[in-house]
Amino acid sequence: MLKITSLVKRYGAGDPVLKDLDLEVPGEEVVSVIGSSGAGKSTLLRCINRLVEPTSGKIFLNGTDFTRLGKRELRVGRRRIGMVFQSFNLVDRLTVMENVQSGRLGYISTWAALSRRYPKEDIRRAFELMERVGIAHYANKRADELSGGERQRVGVIRALMQQPEILLADEPTASLDPKTSEQIMTLLRDLARELKLPVIINIHNVNEAKEFSDRIVGMRYGRIIFDGLPQALTKDAMNEIYAGVPHEDRKLEGAAA
Amino acid sequence: MSTAKDTWRKRPFIANPLLRYGLYAAIVVYVVTTFATLPIDWDRIAQGLSRAGRIFGGAFPPSFQRSELLIDGFLESLKIAILATVGGIILSIPIAFMAARNIVPLPVFYVGRAIIIIARSFHPVIVAIIFVKAVGFGPFAGILTLIVYSIGFVAKLLAERIEEIDPGPVEAMKAAGAPFLSTLIYAVFPQIMQRQIGLGIYQLDSNLRASAVVGIVGAGGIGATLANAFGRYDYDFALAITMVIVGVILISEAVSGAIRKRIA
Repeated sequence: MLKITSLVKRYGAGDPVLKDLDLEVPGEEVVSVIGSSGAGKSTLLRCINRLVEPTSGKIFLNGTDFTRLGKRELRVGRRRIGMVFQSFNLVDRLTVMENVQSGRLGYISTWAALSRRYPKEDIRRAFELMERVGIAHYANKRADELSGGERQRVGVIRALMQQPEILLADEPTASLDPKTSEQIMTLLRDLARELKLPVIINIHNVNEAKEFSDRIVGMRYGRIIFDGLPQALTKDAMNEIYAGVPHEDRKLEGAAA
Repeated sequence: MSTAKDTWRKRPFIANPLLRYGLYAAIVVYVVTTFATLPIDWDRIAQGLSRAGRIFGGAFPPSFQRSELLIDGFLESLKIAILATVGGIILSIPIAFMAARNIVPLPVFYVGRAIIIIARSFHPVIVAIIFVKAVGFGPFAGILTLIVYSIGFVAKLLAERIEEIDPGPVEAMKAAGAPFLSTLIYAVFPQIMQRQIGLGIYQLDSNLRASAVVGIVGAGGIGATLANAFGRYDYDFALAITMVIVGVILISEAVSGAIRKRIA
């Protein structure tokens, strides 16, 4: 279970990007986070694994307070959180297998990584997962030879290789065409169920969010202003989430203060 | 009726005409007065011209009689160049990482940059003079000199390449909990490998050229052979050596250019 309490992220002296935000993701559910650009979706996700350092607040993953981890503990802790990226973040010049195995780098020694001597069970797991998403025959291809959808499959498998306790996906389909995008969303939903894995997805496409998630969180200017079932996301709720621009919100807040 | 202008002039580089013409005049005055006041002894130059005539006269036809010496000199130069390139690249890689702002913390970055700046600030001939004094005449001084020269060039360009990498894969490895070295090996190395190989080949070619120069101040190789030939007034042999140097450099440049084009 992921539990975030009063999370604040502030860059410099300006207004915080995240304002006293609370979020709980209990079990195996797919949560979509929607909101206009600049609402803080990406910052929220990156605070969870501390790719972005939170200013204050607590983040508990199955009992561990991630905000209190030291440098080394954080590195070990990050193995428990898988992440999928908008631009895939694969290493183009490495093979698909090497990219997949890079999800295990936190577990294997630097020497094993350098000499590509991966443990047998890691190789088996990689082939199983690649088979599951239909890219096993690409194991020896270079990552830049693959299409966008195939590349994101590699990205997802790499994250799953960590055997994570939660999966974070930062706009995983924003660089893909609509059809491929649906395939990846289907894949994320199905894998989440099969592996009993909670998934948090930042997404711009509201229809996809409604179709593929168990719960939707709407963010506007650093706060969660909607949290409920996809059916509950009415036109009014949508308008509230997407209405206005961050700039105007900022003015309003300024007037209130 | 259109009243559009039909004349247009490019704006001068310096807008203020007084400053512009003043600057031109100042440059002319400076060049003329400097040349006039430098202690140039025209008599000696005239004598030197006849001496130059004797040298060139003595150099023709070039003599390849002592080609064994020539070949030995070249092989030594080649060995110096290869060893210096290997050593220079091995040392350049960690220095380049130290000098890449996106990889290391600021204090380490300054150390890395400082090493590169020092390695670059002296011409190989000056470095060679120092090393010849330090370790004596011969190829070892040449190797050390060219290692310094290689670091100045390879580490600097490699550091710039490292700073240009796509940060995405690094972020992904970090998110997976990868240790620092593993992250470098998986996310950074593959992105700079191509440039690294290209730089290595270019540097080999460049070291071969430089090894001929540093040999003249005593750091071994064909340069030493050439300096000896001059010292012994064997101008015909010296010309032969010079011709072969030019030939070898042309060939090595063509080969390295072809290889670098292939891997690009």
